[in-house]
Order: sequence, then C-alpha cells, then structure tokens
Amino acid sequence: MVGANTIQSMYEDMVTARYYEERLQEVYLEGKQPAFDISAGTIPGELHLAAGHEAAAAGVCAHLRDEDTVTAPHRPHHVAIAKGVDLPRMTAEILGRETGLCKGKGGHMHLFDPDVNFACSGIIAQGCPPAVGAAMAAQKRNEDSVAVAYLGEGAVDQGAFLESLNLAALHDLPVVFVVEDNDWAISMPVERVTDVENTAERADGFDMPGVRVDHDDAVAVYEAARDAVGRARDGNGPTLLDVQVHRRMGHFMGDAEGYRPDEDQERAQRLDAIERLADDLREHGVDDAELNEIRETAEERVEDAIEWARDQPEPAPEDAYENVFVDGTAAASGGED
Amino acid sequence: MTVAIDSAAVWPEDAEDVDEAVVANWFVREGGDVDAGEAVCEIQIEKVSIDVPAPATGTLVERTVAENEEFRRGDVLGRIDPD
Amino acid sequence: MSKPASDPGTGGADRELTMSRAMVDAVAAEMRASDDVFYMGEDVQDYGGIFDSTEGLLEEFGRDRIMDVPISETAYVGAAVGAAQAGMRPIAEIMFADFVGVCLDQVYNQMAKNTYMSGGAVNVPMVLTTAVGGTYNDAAQHSQTLYGLFAHLPGMKVVVPSTAYDAKGLMHAAIRDDDPVVYMFHKRLMGIGWMPAPEGPKTPVPEEDYTIPLGEADMKREGSDVTVVTLGLHVHRALEAAEELAGDVDVEVIDLRTLVPFDTETVVDSVEKTGRLVVVDEDYQSFGVTGEVTARVAERALGSLEAVERVALPDVPVPYSRPLENEVNPGADDIVAAIESIK
Repeated sequence: MVGANTIQSMYEDMVTARYYEERLQEVYLEGKQPAFDISAGTIPGELHLAAGHEAAAAGVCAHLRDEDTVTAPHRPHHVAIAKGVDLPRMTAEILGRETGLCKGKGGHMHLFDPDVNFACSGIIAQGCPPAVGAAMAAQKRNEDSVAVAYLGEGAVDQGAFLESLNLAALHDLPVVFVVEDNDWAISMPVERVTDVENTAERADGFDMPGVRVDHDDAVAVYEAARDAVGRARDGNGPTLLDVQVHRRMGHFMGDAEGYRPDEDQERAQRLDAIERLADDLREHGVDDAELNEIRETAEERVEDAIEWARDQPEPAPEDAYENVFVDGTAAASGGED
Repeated sequence: MTVAIDSAAVWPEDAEDVDEAVVANWFVREGGDVDAGEAVCEIQIEKVSIDVPAPATGTLVERTVAENEEFRRGDVLGRIDPD
Repeated sequence: MSKPASDPGTGGADRELTMSRAMVDAVAAEMRASDDVFYMGEDVQDYGGIFDSTEGLLEEFGRDRIMDVPISETAYVGAAVGAAQAGMRPIAEIMFADFVGVCLDQVYNQMAKNTYMSGGAVNVPMVLTTAVGGTYNDAAQHSQTLYGLFAHLPGMKVVVPSTAYDAKGLMHAAIRDDDPVVYMFHKRLMGIGWMPAPEGPKTPVPEEDYTIPLGEADMKREGSDVTVVTLGLHVHRALEAAEELAGDVDVEVIDLRTLVPFDTETVVDSVEKTGRLVVVDEDYQSFGVTGEVTARVAERALGSLEAVERVALPDVPVPYSRPLENEVNPGADDIVAAIESIK
C-alpha cells in the first residue's frame, strides 16, 4: 500500500520533470529554426530529453536520501529532479553559465551535484562502476547509504554494466541498477541487439535478484524499489530493476525518428505514466483543482529556474584552464602565451 | 527557356505544416552539367534531409537559393538550361 | 530520405560531394567488388550513421552486410579483428572516437599487435572508422580527436581526410590495405545538414575508383615564409589564416592526411624552404602530434629551423560552454597569431 502523500510527492517530481523537458525543448530550439544547426542557439550541443521516463526516476528516488548516491547517463534531467538536484543551477549548467552546477564545463550530459550525491556520465553504462564504488565506500565505512545506477536498456550489452553486476553481487554491495527500458537504443530496437527479452533475467547469471516492472506505473516502480533499496540498505546486496518507460521526444533533439514506426511513437504518447498517477491521486480524493495547483507550482518552479539561468553570466574564456587539478596545478600547456 | 527546380515538388507529406527550410548542400556549381533525376542539392526541413533531383538534363545556370540559406516552400531553388 | 549508395550525388564530372557521401561512395564500391567487405556499427542501418557515414548503404547491401550491433564495442571491434584474421575485410565504426575507451584493448592489444606478435604469420586487414572533433559544444566526452593516441600506439595506420576527394581515395586505400587502418572523420567536415561545414571539404569527386596512398601529405597551399602543418578540420582553418595573411606573410599549408605512416619528407622539405614551422592540431598539445612533427623536423633539419610554434588544445578536457570551448579549440585567429609571432 502506498500512501497519498507519497503518490503526490512522486506526482510533483514527475510533472516538474515533464514540464522541464518541454520547456527545455523550446529553449533548445531558440536560434535553431528553420535551419537546425546543432551548435547554434541558447543551448548548443546534443540534448537528450527524458519525457516518458519520469516514473523510473520518481519511483526509485522516493526511497533515497541526500547521502545516497545516484549516477545517471546521458539522459539525466528527470533523475536529477527526483534526486533533488538544485534546479536553477542545473539549468544554468545546461545553458553553459558560470554559476551552473559545473561552471559551464560539464553541460547537460555531465551534471554533478555533490550536495545530493548526484553524478553523470555521457558514456553508455559507464556510470555503473562509480555507483558500485560509492556502495563500496558505504559498506567499508559501515554506513547505511546506498547507490543507484541508472542506465538505458541499450547499455545492458556493455561490459561495464555486466562487470559491475558481478562485482556488486560478489561483495553484497548496497547498489541498485535501474534500467530504463524505452525500447530504443537511438535507432536500434531491443530485438535487433539482444535475444534476451527480459533484462531482469540477466541478474540470474550473477546470483542477484532481478525485477521487471513492465509498465511505467510510478506506484509499481515505487513498490519494486522499496524492496530493492531496502535490501541494499539492510546489507543484503544489489538488485537489478528493469523498468519499462517510453521515449516521447526522440533520442536527442532534432532526431526525426525516420526509423521508428508511427504507431510506436503514438503508443508512447498514449501511455502516459503521469496521467495514470493523476488517476491514482483522484482515487485518493485529490480533486482536479488540487492537481492543477500541483502542476502550476511545478511550472512556476521550472520557469523561475529557466529565468534565473538566462540571467546568469557566461564563464570567462580563461576559466577553461581551471579545475584540471584540485590543487590548481596548471594544465601542461594551458594558459600560456 | 530554363526549367525551375521547384522546392514544393519535393516537400514531404509529413512536413505539410512546415513552410520554411534551408539548402544544406549544393552538389553542382553554376555552369555545371546535371542529369535529370540526379541530386543537385540537399535541403533540410526540420532536420530531415531531402535530396532534390534535377528536373531536366542540362546546365545548372543559377542557384537562386545559396548554400545554408533559408527559403519558403514553393521557392525556386535554381534553374537548369536543358540540353 | 537520402539517395541510395549507388547514386550518392549527381552523375558526371561536374558533381561535388560532401565528405560523408564521398566516404560512402568508396565503401559502396568496395562492397560491390568484394563480398568480404562488410560494415558493423551502432545506428548504421536505418539511421545511416549518426554522422551519415553509412547513409544509403542499407538499401543496397541489406542487413547482413550493413550490421547494426549492440552497444558492445569490445565485442564487435574484436569481432572485426577476428573476421579480418579469417580473411575478410570488415569495417567497424566507433560512433565517437571518445568511445574507444570502452574497447581499447581490442584496438591496441589485438588489432594493432597481432601482426607483429605473430611474426607476420597473421594480418588484420580491417578498417576502424570513427567520428572526431568538437566545435559544437558536445563537451568533454564527445568532442575529442585523439589523433595522437591512435598514432602513438604502434601497429595501426591512421588517416584523417579533410576533403571529399581525399575521403574517397583514402577509404579505398584503407579497405584495400592489408593492415588495420583507423579512419578518423571530422564531424564538422562531413557536410551534415545540421552541422554546417566550412568552405572547403566539399570537392569534385570522380565517379571511378582511385586511391590516395597512405603516407602522402598534401601541399594545400605553397608559400615561402612560414610552414603550417595540420590535419582534419584545422586544414581549413589554416587555409583561412593563410588567406588572411596573404600579401603580408606567404604561408605554406600542409595537410598531413595520414599520421601513420608519416610523410616526413614533405614536412622537412617545406621547413628547409621556409625556416619557420607552425603545427596546428585539435588534439591535446602535450605528448602528441604537434610535438612529434616538431621533433621530426628538429632531428632532420635543425639547421634550417629558425622558429617553431604549436597551436593545439591546451591539455584540458573539452569544456561545454561556448566561450570555454572557443577558448581552447584553435581558431583561424589563433593560427594567424602564431604565424605572426614567428614571421
């Protein structure tokens, strides 16, 4: 049984994340129409948005504390929001500003917020080993914090993931691997890249529990994650969670998805975990006026973050030479002349 | 009498609601020979690239829309002087 | 949406191709000529390569020869090594050169060493294609060139085309070569609609097959005052710098085109003429291409060498934000400044 307050809290995270991605899509396209030049506009570079993935973020992160570690992949915003990453500073980072989380050095695939132990890697599956390491640190220090590694279903064929499962299982480390299965590795459907239909079964080979949540229902994710995070926190070892999600916005902004059947994208639009959760809240007696208020509050929060980020200064060019080393040692050739 | 390269002729059905595009690449310089049906340029409509075939065999006498320049649906992209 | 590989541009002598179409032209011709040639990579089928490196090939050659692969670089790059040793001529693509980190063992301990370790008993006639370079704010993990890394590790040839003409000729040569060849194409030069290329990489490309021998640099512009040696995107930036200085400084620009084998003679001959050397590289400065070029000149023509400048990425990871990346990735203005400092 999941209480109304918990459902409402997840709903807040999910509508915030959805609205955030919708607004970032608009901001990203500023300066990119009609000619789509990836290096032009307010947000240059690649942008991977997570609309349709929110349940996997909210349902798991609802069990996490600030001291728990989360690593996210190239599509990180919804997880960051659910983990409590500072939204204005994250937005400033995505806009490449000096006051961004990473002083404009990281960008949207490389967000780091040590205040809530959140980190990213833009390389497929490469966030898994650091999550194992965070769990290792907790175990060695006898702390009850846990680590969660997020990855896409395309990443489960990568060595870093499989090696991490083994290392985590071997030492009963407090880590949860969360696979967000949106059926597509850019243009490659799951069935083209693996014969393993159910990713959760891969856990069997490492003697750890594997659980599939085959519809992106935040409550179902929450319940599965309660067991997984609880097991980790209690010192009983890792779990693999495989959550079905839906990719509503293409792999990256500007992906015309010419390879994807129309009905598959239509299905992603139709199956909306946020709508499903709103129904759950209505069953708990939350009326539409209250739902609207939650959405408006979330939208206001996002708008404030974007507005603040837009006002932030860009970094000075010479800042490029800082932070190669913590002690201020200059890069071997940096900053000369 | 020259033959116009008509941008509307190659406009995809799924971009009916879009009116602007950009010429991403020309494959023939002005004065160069083209064969009917072969790509003379590539246009980009909302990040989808479409090759534009030459409507006639002859000489490309004019590029009316330059590379990386924007145009509207129905604009003439260039002109071919047929053989 | 694009045309099939059998007709990658316009026909006839007047056609000009983008670099991606020239690459595809060569791959298609080699695949028609031999069933031993096949292509493996992520998103190379229906997507046609994220940077158009296989656009149209699926339609002509089908899924058996244009193979999408799992995100398992160690497995499929290593599989290319094995297939090559079995006598085929596979092409394996690593989507971004930055991703070589996840499969480096198959590249530098297997692909590059098996010929030598076997005393020549086996060879590895494969091509490893990969996209390189920044300039579009894709940050530290998707913007590197890593030219020096690949060229440093012995046993693989390394080519870096800067024009469509070279892209085709080098691809033909790479596929026909009996050794492993790393074919590094710069994203900014491919002629992709959403990443506009500078003037220069799109060139006339003959329909017929031709090869550009590995190990031959190309004199892009002759000059008598300063020699600029570079590769990839920065060939075009160096030419822009040379043009800007025309009338003031007479700049010679050499496009290396191949790092391994290295055309020492062309570079040394040029410096013996000009006495001044500027080496420009989009890779990290230290322990890399700029140092190697400078050392070769110093070893062979120290007496002629009056001045040297290096212009490269200043040993920092590639930062995301626009002003930061612009600061570290050498622009034409940086090349102009380097030339002027030693003219």
